Amino acid sequence: MLSILIWLPILGALVLCLLPKKLGAAYLRRVALAFGSLTAVWTVWLLTQFSLSTVGMQFTEFVPWIKIIDLNYSLGVDGLSLPLLALNALLTLIALYSTAYSGERPRLYYALILLVSGGMAGAFTAQNLLLFFLFYEVELIPLYLLLVNWGGSKRDYAAMKFIIYTAVSGILLLAAFLGIALLGPVPSFAFDPAVTRGLPPLTQVILLGLLLLGFGIKIPLVPLHTWLPEAYVEASPPVAILLGGVLAKLGAYGLLRFGLELFPATWHLVSPILAGIGAVSAVYGALVAIAQKDIKRMVAYSSVGHMGYFLLAAAAATPVSLLGAVLQMVSHGLILAILFHLIGVVETKVGTRNLDALNGLMNPIRGLPFTSAFLVLGGMASAGIPGLVGFIAEYLVLQGSFAVFPIPTLLCVVCSGLTAVYFVVLLNRTCFGKLDNETAYYPVMQWSERVPALILATLVLFLGIQPGWLTRWSESTTNAIIATVPTTDTTLSLSKLNRLISTR
Amino acid sequence: MADIVDIAVGAGSFTTLVTAVTAANLVDALKSPGPFTVFAPTDAAFAKLPPGTITTLVQNIPQLTRILLFHVVSGKFTQADLAKLGVVTSLEGSPIKIDCTDGFEVKNATVLAADIEADNGIIHVIDNVILMG
Amino acid sequence: MLITKVNLPPSNHPFAEIIHRLEAGGAMLPDTPENLMQIIGLYKAYAVPMDFYWRDLLYIAEREFLNPLPFFKYFLPQEYLDLPNHYAGDTADLRIWRGEATAHPELLAFLAKGETVSMPKIFHHLWHDRINMEFAEECMRAMLWHRGMGGQFDPYLDSDEYKANADRAIRAYFQGNPLMQSLYQAFPDMFLEQCRQASYYSNLGLFWEVMAPVFFEMSDLYDEGKLTSVPEAMNFLVNGIFAIAGRPIYHHLYVRGECYEIIPKSKGFTWLYEAALPYVEAVFYRTSPFRGTKSYNAQAKQVPEAQKDFHFGILYADVFPVGTAGIPPTLLMQDMLHFLPPYLVNYYAQHCRGQDDTLIQLGVSFQRSMYCVTSAVIQALRTALLYPLDDPNPRHLQANREFFESQLNRFLRPEARIRAIQSQDYR
Repeated sequence: MLSILIWLPILGALVLCLLPKKLGAAYLRRVALAFGSLTAVWTVWLLTQFSLSTVGMQFTEFVPWIKIIDLNYSLGVDGLSLPLLALNALLTLIALYSTAYSGERPRLYYALILLVSGGMAGAFTAQNLLLFFLFYEVELIPLYLLLVNWGGSKRDYAAMKFIIYTAVSGILLLAAFLGIALLGPVPSFAFDPAVTRGLPPLTQVILLGLLLLGFGIKIPLVPLHTWLPEAYVEASPPVAILLGGVLAKLGAYGLLRFGLELFPATWHLVSPILAGIGAVSAVYGALVAIAQKDIKRMVAYSSVGHMGYFLLAAAAATPVSLLGAVLQMVSHGLILAILFHLIGVVETKVGTRNLDALNGLMNPIRGLPFTSAFLVLGGMASAGIPGLVGFIAEYLVLQGSFAVFPIPTLLCVVCSGLTAVYFVVLLNRTCFGKLDNETAYYPVMQWSERVPALILATLVLFLGIQPGWLTRWSESTTNAIIATVPTTDTTLSLSKLNRLISTR
Repeated sequence: MADIVDIAVGAGSFTTLVTAVTAANLVDALKSPGPFTVFAPTDAAFAKLPPGTITTLVQNIPQLTRILLFHVVSGKFTQADLAKLGVVTSLEGSPIKIDCTDGFEVKNATVLAADIEADNGIIHVIDNVILMG
Repeated sequence: MLITKVNLPPSNHPFAEIIHRLEAGGAMLPDTPENLMQIIGLYKAYAVPMDFYWRDLLYIAEREFLNPLPFFKYFLPQEYLDLPNHYAGDTADLRIWRGEATAHPELLAFLAKGETVSMPKIFHHLWHDRINMEFAEECMRAMLWHRGMGGQFDPYLDSDEYKANADRAIRAYFQGNPLMQSLYQAFPDMFLEQCRQASYYSNLGLFWEVMAPVFFEMSDLYDEGKLTSVPEAMNFLVNGIFAIAGRPIYHHLYVRGECYEIIPKSKGFTWLYEAALPYVEAVFYRTSPFRGTKSYNAQAKQVPEAQKDFHFGILYADVFPVGTAGIPPTLLMQDMLHFLPPYLVNYYAQHCRGQDDTLIQLGVSFQRSMYCVTSAVIQALRTALLYPLDDPNPRHLQANREFFESQLNRFLRPEARIRAIQSQDYR
């Protein structure tokens, strides 16, 4: 059942490649959309079949593959991965829909997006470390091609930087996975927390450290984030939506799945460091975003900041904070997608993303009132205004983390205020003020450009008012994960970690 | 000698002006001892005005009076006097600029015949109806 | 006959091209068929609401006067809709428009139905489906507020004679109303200032009474193919200005059938000096920073210190409305939208966003048409105060040029749209 999520998009990519040459871009887009929609429908069906009370993997599939290296085709889904699978299906559909490509190589473009989507679904469902790694690496290549072929003028540089960073990330992960598999009592790549929990503490620290570095690049966390602004900014809007909305979540998901779940005790030990990194990411992202002149870059840096909240919540590892972390992944994916989509619209219509040049787009007659209105909504959601999904996520993160890490949490609260600062700057300059007479001959926004924003905005609003629809999928899973984290010792410190290491 | 009105009537080339002065009931005033300096536009000068201008003015005596009074200055000023003064104030209240550097010009009008003496003043014949402002 | 054409050396002014065009008898607006179509169409679209403006302005000045609760001042009685225009119809003093003297048929049709359906006037009013007098009042207020822009009308408002006339009128108006009478006793200056405002209502109403038939006639001539270029249109305006120059400006008040002459016709105030020139100065050039179109920061010197340096008029205006309705220039555009001739409706549908931004497109056309009117004023002043364009005397031609240059100097500031209207790309 889960296989369909992986192989349907890949089949779609193949079909696209095999279609006759003379077919136009519009036809190819329809075919791609058909496969994207089927995947989305299948995801919805999975949601309806998903048992909320069951702890552990559901819809598991197991096919032995290459036994000699213990690489098995083993899939499963739980409350952690299900929302992300849904996010992946939705954003893929939106990425496909929002590209009305008339020009360059549409066939390749749609095929690559479907490949990325399939790879992502595989990574989210893989229950074998090696299989995860395979999918993790496999979606890199189409993403690299998407980056290098479509996008801004510096896309070559951005794509190269992206591939180098993520390749390093992959190597680190491979090292960690090999360690897990080989150091255990029975060499196995199967996902099995029971095995890793038995490893010696120092080994756990090293392996977790490798995972942190690997996934930290992907998320990304300060100071491993420098590939992000270039990649997000140079990517074409649909690719940016995939990059920011789904790919970054792959890192976050990996951290929870393979860091927290495999090494709960060690996670508990290093969590003060993680919380610190989270707070630093949040502060850094917010401050750098304030200084930006390019609105896409501003949103890209806001992404760094928001993933800081995620790390704080994951580090705190309380039932509320972990639920907040999952929600933060989904809400950030939705909000980033709507923001990148709208910024893409602004760029195509106005021809610039520069804050100094943009002005008065709210003008009802000559401006882009629809875009502006939804940009305001997106900005509000990102800044955590109550009633929108961003608020619920941030609230759970902060509420859940405060008891464990008061100082980093307070820093993140301040950052939440700073988020409002740069979004006010962005919205004030972009949407409000006086539209310039000389330049304001912008084309009208098409319905095809409105639909993605409408869908995303509806979700942002609906899930903001009814967060229960989001939390219900993950609650039992996150609670089960938390149960494995030691809670007796609440005085966590570096000295304890040092002591532990030195006793070895 | 004749007074200002008599001279104007007698000259024959000021029929529009005389009609206007009569319509505006200024005849008696211009026959009074004064003395006045009058810048008298010829019929040709009035003919230069776009059509309708005179019609409207004749329908509205106070407004016509005002335009006519702009052509009259209290006191008797010869060309030489005016050249020295540079600016005189009309009975209407607005100033009239005089330029004698190159001929004898009153505002944007050129004087066709200067220093025509009358009992109660002096007449300068001009080739344009002058307007305030 | 041998004519020796005298030529001046080319002008060094930044707008030398426009100055040479003015010296050749042209307008500030380039002479193209597209410009002509836009300005004539806009004159027509402007004249229909203007036919309402002048009637209502006079109604307010003559009847509503100091009504402390003027809820119904925009509800024009039939008497004022039938008021014969002095420059149209068979009864005209000087027939400028060949049409009728009573309210324009398109205006009457609009008053009856509006954009919606036929219903009592009060609902049209509340639904804002009406002619927006707010724009006309804003123009009046600009004239009142700037004051002192030449002419004898404004100084007269401070004279003892005016105060005595106003006093008599105010007493008569509030006869049998002890409350307002005692308030008048307590705050006479406040009432006097309101009376001055009413006088400007009258002034502007009398000014526009002339302009509406002028614009109607231009539109008819264009439709008949008798007006074929921008300079011709401008010259029609110049002749109009001269023809009506002597039209009296006054303020009468009618109370219980009796007429009180607050400013009598016998003061000799003329249309040109006491209404037209102050109007052009106040409305085309200066006005005031309209709330809502843009935020101006006076502390940051975005608003000039001296009133004479104000430059928020239509010649400088940014016609993009921000927000929604309620801003006088936007309301004027809304008024004109109802009366666009079909050729302009088609024209706007083909450009920019078509129907969606017709308001802005017609605002830009309006700006072009007002540059043509301003050109007419400049040429009229040149005719009245200076020399013919073909004057053989080079000293006279130089004086003309200096005049044109001094007029165009007012458009040197960057806000002026004179550069923009030189090109058709500005829409």
